[in-house]
Amino acid sequence: MTVRNLRGIVQHAGFIVMMYGGRFGLHLGSAVPCFACPFVPGCGGFCYLMGLQGYIGFGMGAAVASGMGLVTALGWFAVFAASVALLGKLWCGWICPFGLIQDWLSALRRHLGVRERSIPYPVMRRLAWVKYVLLAGIAIIPPLVTAGILHEDFYLPFCGICPGKSLLPLFAGETRYLALNYDNLVTLGFSVALIAITGAMLVGMFLKDRFFCIFCPLLAFIHMLKPVTALRLAKTPDTCVGCGNCRRACPMEIEAVYRERASSDVQSDECLDCAACVEACPSDFALALKFLKVKLFRSSRNYAAGIGGNSKKNELSR
Amino acid sequence: MVKRARKISAKTSERARSEVRKSLEALAARDDRSADFDYFMDLYGAVQTPEAVSERTGRPVVSLLCIQAPIELIHAAGFHPHKVVSGSQAMANMALQGLPALTCPMLRAVTGAAAAASDGTPGTRRWVLPTTCDWVVKFPEMLESSGAGSIRPSLHWMELPHLKDGDSGQARWLEEVFGLKKFLEGCGGKISRASLDASIRIYRDAWRALTRLAMMRQEGRIAAVWFALIAGAFFLDSPERWTKAALSVNPPPGGARSDERAHVFLAGSPIFFPNFKLLDLLEDSGVSIAADDLCSGERIFPGGVTYRDSSEFGMMSALAQRYHQGCLCPTFIDNDRRINNILSRRMASDFQGVVFHVLKGCHPYDLESLSVEAPLKERGLKFLRLETDYAAEDSQNLRTRIEAFRGTLSRR
Repeated sequence: MTVRNLRGIVQHAGFIVMMYGGRFGLHLGSAVPCFACPFVPGCGGFCYLMGLQGYIGFGMGAAVASGMGLVTALGWFAVFAASVALLGKLWCGWICPFGLIQDWLSALRRHLGVRERSIPYPVMRRLAWVKYVLLAGIAIIPPLVTAGILHEDFYLPFCGICPGKSLLPLFAGETRYLALNYDNLVTLGFSVALIAITGAMLVGMFLKDRFFCIFCPLLAFIHMLKPVTALRLAKTPDTCVGCGNCRRACPMEIEAVYRERASSDVQSDECLDCAACVEACPSDFALALKFLKVKLFRSSRNYAAGIGGNSKKNELSR
Repeated sequence: MVKRARKISAKTSERARSEVRKSLEALAARDDRSADFDYFMDLYGAVQTPEAVSERTGRPVVSLLCIQAPIELIHAAGFHPHKVVSGSQAMANMALQGLPALTCPMLRAVTGAAAAASDGTPGTRRWVLPTTCDWVVKFPEMLESSGAGSIRPSLHWMELPHLKDGDSGQARWLEEVFGLKKFLEGCGGKISRASLDASIRIYRDAWRALTRLAMMRQEGRIAAVWFALIAGAFFLDSPERWTKAALSVNPPPGGARSDERAHVFLAGSPIFFPNFKLLDLLEDSGVSIAADDLCSGERIFPGGVTYRDSSEFGMMSALAQRYHQGCLCPTFIDNDRRINNILSRRMASDFQGVVFHVLKGCHPYDLESLSVEAPLKERGLKFLRLETDYAAEDSQNLRTRIEAFRGTLSRR
């Protein structure tokens, strides 16, 4: 079995658990490091971004009153951090149900033979700040609601514009988040923005692999925990011939892996740990997905060519 | 005068045929010969004119001199990419007059073969030449000055940007690949998304077969001469038939290489049938080739074209990038990652040294041998540079040097 096939199986299993887990008694809590959307009826866990907004906003108010809200918030953060420390960005590349939806759209585009609209890597780098701005918004806006400065319907600001909220519930038969909400001007504004963003994202995700991930604040948050993450993409620059297969295989079109000539650390903030680059690399030992110091999967000429016999006889003497 | 020229051509052709015959007889007499190799030997024994290759493959032929033009694109257009190469000393001698003394022996042999051909041309109506080295650039002039006729009316140049790491060079090369598509369509070829996709798959399968053979050579299951023979035959038949035959090669383990032999990586200029002089000398001296980076060997085509965007543009881009960025030819300026291929292969194999083959007159490889020697030695690899041509006269000298080199490997 190829890693790509294995990833496909894990992604679909992840989709079933995250989307329908609650229906068969499985719930992973409120600190899931991927888009397990709480707006999906019967979902199997809650995306940490929602919990984070709640804890930062109402949790802080509760903390002042009893101290228990802060403990709960820190507890869920610990669960989130531990999940990220253990699996890193496998949550993004292998488990996230919204990532899988993006991959379905990409597969449809490929099937139809529609040309992918590539985003030049320098442009992508410049867009990287968007996800950090969204993350900052998640941290700043809820306390303003708690303090009474903003209207209470701002209490989940990111969920208000997240295309996961509009699209993922569709798989559970829930369509109301694609409708306008006339409760008040704030809800109307959010619902208009959500429908517009959803439309734009659908077009973007069809035309460009993993388009939403460029802007995903959860990816930014996971990347901020990189120092404690056990799972890493690593490169042995001495064995890279610069063929560019890694760049072409990468759904995020990351150039840093191809360009790197000195450091073994090629885990950039856009990287999803999908391992497509490792699979495509025809140079033995050039790339590896590592758990601490253990190589879970490394590049191999034979693997890239589709044959077995991945023998390792001796390490490079330096 | 014309009669004398015809007589010389006829004699040269007979000498070249004799070279092929003797080489095939020598291969047939080897202990490790297997019936699996017969298909490839038969290909060399057959007529190699473009017309014959065209008849064999059922496709019109597009002639190439090197591996820089994307063969998947040529195949997708309905043509057969035919790499016109020769290791014939007789043909190289035929073209000696009127050419510089240190002309690339391979192109000299091809020029000689063209001059000896009855119609005075290299025998095809379509040529695609990427501007890789100076010899390739001057090849049409070499043909004309040798009386072999002109290929210019049927020639398509691909201007190769010699900087491959930068975006501008890659963008220019992509334009050239689209230019090749236009040329092929102008020749009557038809390229569709489906045909391009199918062609890439066909050559990916061929790469799988070639990689499997390289693995067998590394494990000592087939000798270097058999690998060179099979790789060199790649352009002589349809890729599907070649792949099927290559995947059928299955000699018993341990047939070609024992643990007593020294194992090396072979780098540098290409080696073409029937001139396997260097391979024979290495083998006779107790040296086995674990891997190579010759454009007549493991790099006979880039292989493994990876793409996510399966639109026609996406596949064209992938082909352009794979043939440009991934090429380790010394003609590129920024080719410093070349030794990484050797270091990478060393981690998967167990060779102790590098034999760097320089064909006399192959200046890019000649110069690059100087720049790769020091970094390889720093990594603990022994290094031997061997400069030679198609002539047999230097065999004893080469043998002495190889045996001395083998001694240094044994002492490790």
